[in-house]
Amino acid sequence: MRATEPASDPVAVLLAAAASGSSAWPDLYPGRRAFGYFCSYWPEELVLSLGWEPLRILPIAKRAVPGRLPAYCCFPARSCLAAAEAGEYDFLIGAGFTHTCDTMQSLAGIWHHRDTFQLVPPVTLQGPGADAYCTVEMRNLWHRLAARAGREADPRELRKAISLMNRVRSLALRLDEMRPGLPSSLVAAVLRAGQLMPRAVFAAALEAAWPELEAGVDDGEGRHRLLISGSVLEEDGLYTMVEELGARVVADDTCSGYRSFDGLVDEEKEPVAALVRRLSVRASCPCRHSSLNARPDYLSELARLRGARAAVLVMRKYCDPHAWDATIVSEKLRSSGVSVLILELETGTAGAQEKVRLEAFLECLSDLDQEGQ
Amino acid sequence: MAGNRRYLPLDSTRHLGRTMQRYYFFSRYHGLWGRPWHRPLAWITSGAPVEIVRAMGIDPVYPENFGAICGTRRVTSELCRVAEQAGYSQDLCSYARADIGALLRPDLAPMGGLPKPDLLVACNNICGTVLKWYEALARRLNVPLFMIDTPFVAGELEEHAVAYVSAQLQDLIRQLETFTRRRFKPGQLQKHIDLSNEAVKLWCEIREMCRTRPSPLNTPDLFVHMAPIVVLRGTPAAVTHYRRLRSEVRERVHSGQGAVPGERYRLLWDNIAIWHQLFRFYRLFSDRGACFVTDTYSGGWSVQPAPGEAMESLARTYTAVFLNRSVAFRTRQMVNLIRDFHLDGFVMHSNRSCKPYSLVQEEIRHRVIDETGVPGLVVEADMADARIYAEEQVQTRVQAFLEALETRI
Repeated sequence: MRATEPASDPVAVLLAAAASGSSAWPDLYPGRRAFGYFCSYWPEELVLSLGWEPLRILPIAKRAVPGRLPAYCCFPARSCLAAAEAGEYDFLIGAGFTHTCDTMQSLAGIWHHRDTFQLVPPVTLQGPGADAYCTVEMRNLWHRLAARAGREADPRELRKAISLMNRVRSLALRLDEMRPGLPSSLVAAVLRAGQLMPRAVFAAALEAAWPELEAGVDDGEGRHRLLISGSVLEEDGLYTMVEELGARVVADDTCSGYRSFDGLVDEEKEPVAALVRRLSVRASCPCRHSSLNARPDYLSELARLRGARAAVLVMRKYCDPHAWDATIVSEKLRSSGVSVLILELETGTAGAQEKVRLEAFLECLSDLDQEGQ
Repeated sequence: MAGNRRYLPLDSTRHLGRTMQRYYFFSRYHGLWGRPWHRPLAWITSGAPVEIVRAMGIDPVYPENFGAICGTRRVTSELCRVAEQAGYSQDLCSYARADIGALLRPDLAPMGGLPKPDLLVACNNICGTVLKWYEALARRLNVPLFMIDTPFVAGELEEHAVAYVSAQLQDLIRQLETFTRRRFKPGQLQKHIDLSNEAVKLWCEIREMCRTRPSPLNTPDLFVHMAPIVVLRGTPAAVTHYRRLRSEVRERVHSGQGAVPGERYRLLWDNIAIWHQLFRFYRLFSDRGACFVTDTYSGGWSVQPAPGEAMESLARTYTAVFLNRSVAFRTRQMVNLIRDFHLDGFVMHSNRSCKPYSLVQEEIRHRVIDETGVPGLVVEADMADARIYAEEQVQTRVQAFLEALETRI
């Protein structure tokens, strides 16, 4: 079934899109021109304003050993490059890299697959001169993309794109707030679909899916409430495992999860400046610097707001920014009374070893509950 | 015979030893003399514009240089274990782990660790790790962190990036004025910039003399003698040292004396040194008459400053450092070195601790081979953590590489 075809079950459409991955685009959406991007800081609106569709390039489990990256590089970068080398992204118009970590910087340098575009936002988004710099950087990117598209960079089209993305992000926020009553893997999959489907198609499908989603809401009673934080999670296995072991993800701070959708663009402002503004108000990733405790404080507050009493910090092997943050974030969460499990994953697949660790962690939580009663 | 093949030591190394001992002696006891003289101590990254820091009467020490010292003294692995026990992943940069380990267990560190700083200054032109490393230090030491963000230069350095970095440097000065309660004096900044420029000019001259055949220096000499251009940048001590070194190297050139007796192969080194194997590793090459005539790493400090007004010049110079540049730029740099220094091959250290340097090396290797036709070897190791080093494997690969070179000459 193609996701663009009318479907009696819109939830099934969303789940099918999520399960298909980035490289299934030509089969699912023939005729639609996709532009690949890697990082949630990439301004999808610029792509949409030029008549293209933004498509998040996520790792593919079956490929991971490209000749041009060493083994001590993270799996997501290795996997994406291996897939590109195998021709799985030949359908893309181009690829967009936002400067984040050293690995993505390197991947951008060796990704000569179609046209490559880079956006280098400030590391310190609120720093002196950052706003003016980022506005020029964003505008230049837009014009480079427009030149590639052979079109004018039209502010009216950009406003329409902003409006569409605000609709998508508002829906994602609403879904994120329903997490305590919905299966963790379902929410993760739907949010991932929001990065893999044409945005208007996704928004329509999610709106159509609301009745079914709302009907499926349970009270989550008796489940341990978890916060999950980390970089990209391209599979739902960990979320499914959480559910099977009697817990629920009530707050999500993963690069491919809700953090990707956080923050709306001000539709009243000049559009490029408004896009820049969103980057500094959205939930920050570890590659950005504002104050020393901004991220630990944000995650601690997120856990409090959602009533999460435990957190799973997912560290992808060789992901330096998240590995650095794991130390301070776990200290902060523990000092706030939130139990923490640091779970290292190389691929996106959570296997038996991770299950044992997660199970033991949740049993400890249960023991703590019993002691507290 | 092997003993006769060792490469020629430099007399200037004794002077270097004294210079560095003096620097670390004064740094170590900075707490005693710095406070009465109202001179704060800063920990600073190797790519930060230190001229501003010095102009504000702040004395810098360099955790990265300290990381290299820990590496050469082979204590990094022990210090890394301390940091790992405190929750830092073993996949993080070994300089950073050793530095944090030394903070937690100064008794295990050379010189009892670095003296505690009053402030931290980090510039991300060399990697993203310094941002996270210095954030961690700022939390542990409870001192202010001053960050300078130099946007990655994907193509050419653009004016809006220069303006952004200039704005940050102006802001850094304002913040340091508040911190030190001292007024910024442009004349002081110019004095330190002039001293930096003089040292850079000398360092360039010394490196350029290695075009001579035989080369008067082997790259381990450059690694040892690069210390002043990093930690004493902007001081008369660096200029004095490099004048002395230049005289000695010039003398070698005039007398036709090569660093490696019977120089047969001329090679290029790419990446940070393998500090824990500094002489042992390079001897694998010098024993067979292979001399590393030049390198990309210590050459990072040989870039002539950009022209223009002081702040703009600093912004341009520090943003455009080679580790902040594209694969195309770095390929061109290596191709030019191979051509200009008449090299027979190159060796890349795939350094687990330095991702921006290492992850693109395979791509660069292919491009350089395509353009120059000279062979390139990749050796996997870590700049400081000896646990990563597989000696037998390295020896086998080096041997095969040198045998392949032999067939070409």
